[in-house]
Amino acid sequence: MFELTRLGRSALCATSITLLFATSPGTSAADKVTITFANWASAEGTTKPAIDQVIADFQKAHPDIEIKSESISFTEIARQLALRIRAGNPPDVAQLAGNDTFVIAGTGKLEPLAGYISADLKARLKADAMTGLQYQGKLIALPWMLAPAGFWYNKAVMAKAGLDPEKPPRTIDALTTAMAAIKKSQPDVIPLALDTTNRPFSLQSNWPWMATFGAMPFDGTKGHAESPEMKRYLTWMRDLAKNGYIDPGRKIGEFRPLAAQDKVAFVWDQVVLQGVIQSANKMSDADFYKHWGVTTQPAGPSGKPYSFEGGHQLVMFADSKQKKAAWTFIEYLAASPNAIKTYTLGPGSSLPPLSAAPSPDLAAKMDTPIFKSFTTQIIPTVATPPFGPGFAAASTAIMAGVQQAVTGTDPIDQIARSMQQELDRK
Amino acid sequence: MTGAQSPRQPLAKHSSARRDRESLPWLDAMMMPSLVVLAIVVGYPVVFTVLLSAQDYNLVGTEAARFVGTANYEKLAADPTFWRALVNTAVYTFGSVAVSLLLGLGLALLTENLPGRRGRLARALLLAPWAVPFVVVAFLFRYMYLQNGGAINALLLSTGLIDAPIRWLNAASLAMPAVMVTNIWAMTPFFFLLLSAALSGIPTEVLESARVDRASGADLVFRIKLPFLRNAMIISSLLMIISNFNDFAKIWAMTQGGPGYSTTTLVVYVYRQAFENFAFGYASAIGVVWLVLLLGFAIAYLRAIRMN
Repeated sequence: MFELTRLGRSALCATSITLLFATSPGTSAADKVTITFANWASAEGTTKPAIDQVIADFQKAHPDIEIKSESISFTEIARQLALRIRAGNPPDVAQLAGNDTFVIAGTGKLEPLAGYISADLKARLKADAMTGLQYQGKLIALPWMLAPAGFWYNKAVMAKAGLDPEKPPRTIDALTTAMAAIKKSQPDVIPLALDTTNRPFSLQSNWPWMATFGAMPFDGTKGHAESPEMKRYLTWMRDLAKNGYIDPGRKIGEFRPLAAQDKVAFVWDQVVLQGVIQSANKMSDADFYKHWGVTTQPAGPSGKPYSFEGGHQLVMFADSKQKKAAWTFIEYLAASPNAIKTYTLGPGSSLPPLSAAPSPDLAAKMDTPIFKSFTTQIIPTVATPPFGPGFAAASTAIMAGVQQAVTGTDPIDQIARSMQQELDRK
Repeated sequence: MTGAQSPRQPLAKHSSARRDRESLPWLDAMMMPSLVVLAIVVGYPVVFTVLLSAQDYNLVGTEAARFVGTANYEKLAADPTFWRALVNTAVYTFGSVAVSLLLGLGLALLTENLPGRRGRLARALLLAPWAVPFVVVAFLFRYMYLQNGGAINALLLSTGLIDAPIRWLNAASLAMPAVMVTNIWAMTPFFFLLLSAALSGIPTEVLESARVDRASGADLVFRIKLPFLRNAMIISSLLMIISNFNDFAKIWAMTQGGPGYSTTTLVVYVYRQAFENFAFGYASAIGVVWLVLLLGFAIAYLRAIRMN
């Protein structure tokens, strides 16, 4: 046998220790959990860099959690999630919006979130931020970004039509008068940008207009399309089209570039409109506020203005094996100053669900006339439609009827009757 | 007799060769892999769709699928939207195919004798729409048809032909013809290509002898060329009927089946039922009816090929 020198013994010892550490599983890798996050934020060019940055920042702050972002387009996400739920392969967390949130809740596979919300977070959230997110008595989503619709008015177009640009119409009658003046003075301007396509989002967008006429064509289980209020709304829509006040068939996004060119007077749209207009015509903030204003919907016969909440929510799936980590991520996206600054107020172009800005610089960023109008005037008028699995089916029937009223010549009574018959068959 | 018998000899040889092949069992075995693949990719979805059509199955419901027998078909029979979609499908399919066929035929006859570079250029230009993806075609026409700012209305207004913009896609009575015009624009080159090829296949001797017999231009077209083109027209029309029956992209991109249900075809209705309402059972019942109709056209197509 040979004897090891002191140097040899030291080298052997060092090698053994190195090998021991190298071959044993690293603690960080073993403890790291992976959260799958299905979202369309990373599928869209304008929002992808910001959401990727937020995810990277989150992972840096939480080295034990890895986020696997799955890009799915906005129009596809509900379908894909429904199929994945059936296949037993849902993600841990998903971004959803509007009726899709409730369609997925209808599968019974969303984790109720009330138990996860700390008292501190509850205190920081807007008082009514979660009222519209209950399904069968359970909170099924956390609001990520608030994006209600407001009545945007183009002050330059109004002034050209001889209207007071600081006094937007407050009633449907005043709106009709203003649109007539705009059409007469500027025939190439679309007086009112309304989305009348046939999709659940369009019914959501038109719901406040129906509501201000006192109409509720669908209550979640039954249709009420033949009510006098609904007929009055349909008659009003037909008059709008007949007089050339609306341009039917366009999606709301297709009006935005026209708004940037002063080709639209009034737009029924969300907070995002400001960003789209400014990116299209390079208008400064100060010029934008001189040029555009936003307020509540002109009130109809009901005497009340309404709005719809078109923001995005975050949901957690009941099958998730990493619920604690998933919630940590959800809370970070919705309420952390970094996520709000980088994404929500950035390319997300929406309002955070918090009652107060989480930092002084964010408070300064949110101190604009547009954000103030949305926060103080418009958000309190939000009325949530009867979302759920039946809403999508009802929306096809209702919006087909609205389109028939807007584009056809059949009597309104007949349209309302066929709409009701179709709702009864659903 | 010899002259009459000689053409039959190869036929007889051919038949006996086929009989020999049919008697070899290993040839049947060689078909098995293809049959298995077909059974998986075609047979299974068809059988599953038929089974689904007898169930009340909602993809986003909490309840399990329930057997309902013929209930979905009874609902279908009483669904006016389904019948409207069926009529729209027929109008869209047969209208588009008939007009495209006539246009393609006319263009093929007109360009038949165009010589040299001019002829090649004209044919290339006429074929260009076929090279444009259908979704791109649909969006191009959609933007051209826009009530405000669309190129067609702008042109008509600037030339004084109209006083106010026409609501091409926003009027229930105009939307279907407008979508069909788009489809015809995209499909005519197909007929043009096929019929041009068939025209070039007419034996020169036949045309020469007709000319020697002092046949007029109309006689040449109606008595010589059209009878020669008959099979090509039948086969290409059946192909396009099957293709148009399934056409989703153009209609969805242009109108999403609207306004109202004025451009809703069966395929659009199936999509709405399956992927917006998640009513897979009902959508499958529509799919089965659709399949049966398509099967009829497919059989007609196969027979036409065999006759050819």
